[in-house]
Amino acid sequence: MLLAGIAGAVLLSPLLMRGADNDLPIYFENSTLVLKTQTVNRISYLPLADIVRQLSLPFTNDTVQEMFTVRGTNSQVVLTRNSAAISVNNQIALLPNPVLHDNGTWLVPYEFLPQGLSRITGTEFRRRAGTPRVFAGAVKPAELTMNAQFQGSLTRLTLRTSTPVTLEMRRETAQHRTILAFVPKVIDPARETLDYKDRLVSSIDFSDSDGMAKIIVETTDEVGDVRILSADENRVHFIDFIRKTEVTGTSQTPAEAPTAAGTASAGKQDPAAAPTGAGAPVTGGIRVIVLDPGHGGTDTGAMTLGVLEKDLTLIIARKLRATLQSRLGATVLLTRDSDVPLTSEARASVANNNQADLFLSLHIGYSANQSDLGSSVYVIKDNFAASLLSGETGRRLFLPWYLGYRPHRPSSVQVAGLASEELSNAFPGWNFPLRNGPVAVLASAAMPAMLLEIGNLANPTSTQALLDNTFQTKLSVTIAAAIERFSAMRPAAK
Amino acid sequence: MSTIPRHLKIGLVMITIAGVISGGYFVGVVGRIRNMVRDPETEANPFVAPAAQLYSSADPPLDVKVFFPSSSGTAILTAEKRRIFKSGELTNQARQILKIVVDGPMTSGLLPTVPKDTKLQGVFLSKDGTLFVDFSSAISINHPGGMVNEQATIYSIVDSLIYNLSDIHQVKILVGGNEQETLAGHFLLLLPLDMDLSITTEEEGTHAN
Repeated sequence: MLLAGIAGAVLLSPLLMRGADNDLPIYFENSTLVLKTQTVNRISYLPLADIVRQLSLPFTNDTVQEMFTVRGTNSQVVLTRNSAAISVNNQIALLPNPVLHDNGTWLVPYEFLPQGLSRITGTEFRRRAGTPRVFAGAVKPAELTMNAQFQGSLTRLTLRTSTPVTLEMRRETAQHRTILAFVPKVIDPARETLDYKDRLVSSIDFSDSDGMAKIIVETTDEVGDVRILSADENRVHFIDFIRKTEVTGTSQTPAEAPTAAGTASAGKQDPAAAPTGAGAPVTGGIRVIVLDPGHGGTDTGAMTLGVLEKDLTLIIARKLRATLQSRLGATVLLTRDSDVPLTSEARASVANNNQADLFLSLHIGYSANQSDLGSSVYVIKDNFAASLLSGETGRRLFLPWYLGYRPHRPSSVQVAGLASEELSNAFPGWNFPLRNGPVAVLASAAMPAMLLEIGNLANPTSTQALLDNTFQTKLSVTIAAAIERFSAMRPAAK
Repeated sequence: MSTIPRHLKIGLVMITIAGVISGGYFVGVVGRIRNMVRDPETEANPFVAPAAQLYSSADPPLDVKVFFPSSSGTAILTAEKRRIFKSGELTNQARQILKIVVDGPMTSGLLPTVPKDTKLQGVFLSKDGTLFVDFSSAISINHPGGMVNEQATIYSIVDSLIYNLSDIHQVKILVGGNEQETLAGHFLLLLPLDMDLSITTEEEGTHAN
């Protein structure tokens, strides 16, 4: 019995040493070779014949002496079974593991490529340690970084590549899976798997085992729609996995997102900001709107007899959010949805990071002139901070943070003009003149942006109106009407 | 009378010496601590030059326009004619204008822009013509807020200086000796500001200092 056990173990031992086969793509300039690797004694081996055939190299398989010879131009490499020493142009090179010849198949460790094959073909082979792919010759992969963030009603996967790429999305709804294929397909990811999971996304993995680079996102059944936004000339892609109840009713690809501006101050979004979209389908060019309730926390803003500007701006922003969702079907984010202080940079960052199509900051006025009903519509001052351009006229990689407004100022003036017109008509006697100045929160907003200053807290009549629910509702409807007109003027979402 | 042993005498003398030394050290330390915690507001800052006369009676007068908000009209700022003296130092002329801004208008119907208790702490001119104006923190803390109100405060300072003193090209406002993002949450102060006459209108009154 014991002898039988020992004999069985000896016979089975070669099989037990073998591991599962894996696919290893080798990216050449004009082709991709996917090799079936074999794991023997925990070492990953490559089938030599497949590589040699791909490179169209002549070879000799001497089964008697158990030697394999690959010939290049005036050069050759000779391998011997079970030997880590190979002969390259009659010089000995030592591989970290022996060459195997098993069932008629020659198997070589990865190091054979740079130490043996490169020296007779001149083709360089590169592989980052621990990654399952090889880049050959002049192939330059796009380096990929991934990041995911839960934003209340959606999960945003952000993909950044060193060179422009196109994403082709395929949804396997039954399997709750979304596949994002890269074109071109030669990608070098910083990580194979993003260690991320939330109520909408179960896993995010990079895979190119078949030579086709892609990201596979396993989702939960709560995901209703998936949308891709591209920015920075297709170097940045935002993939939004939107909860079912938040879907706006269309699966349109959004309008071209504004170029990310200024410093890389990402991730400053108020955690309380809740993107929401419901109701009417998106018809115009405005899909994502960021509303900014002015002040907050210890920064109360203007005040009079217990009425604080920070409270009124939040109330009006919430009402406006609901109105915009129902009228435009837009995704509406608030820079703050609670009583917290935020810097101007953080407020603009929420709009920039979410590729907003419109940024609207809400404030309440306080005029030294008590009889004034106040109110203004502000845009950033023309040519503000122009000195930061320092005479450069060429293309810049980064736009200075305070110049984010520049490409969008004409659109900002356009939407502010519409708001001024609608509000002045709806509220006779209040006056909403169009003004400009070095408004801190608008300088860095890289999209059409305006600031509404409503009423005058120094004026009791104005304060009373601002506290009135009917007035607030009418205000929201009027502002939404102006945005609706502006949206209709913008190119529709593609 | 018993005699004290010699070794005890030596010991007592050494203890007395040590006591005197440590006592002196203690007094010195206490004195230094008191100096450190003494209220700086009650003492003159040794790094600030003694207040110099902003002008002399022999200096020629200079008519200037200083900008304040009006209780009527749509423009944010209205000019008020005032008179300063053309002293040799440009910063002295700037200080005279800023004093008028801080003290407020003399014309009825015009309103002050700088909050109560605000002090002008310093004025410095850089080589590129940027005037750094440092106000006490009251200009921010006591500001009532409001966009138009804040814009009036900022540009009553900026426009009044650049409009009248051609060697000043930009104005950078500091608060309490430091850079501050905004005065009251709206207008960016981190960059020097240019004159903006688009928010001003014609003069309303004339007063001589």
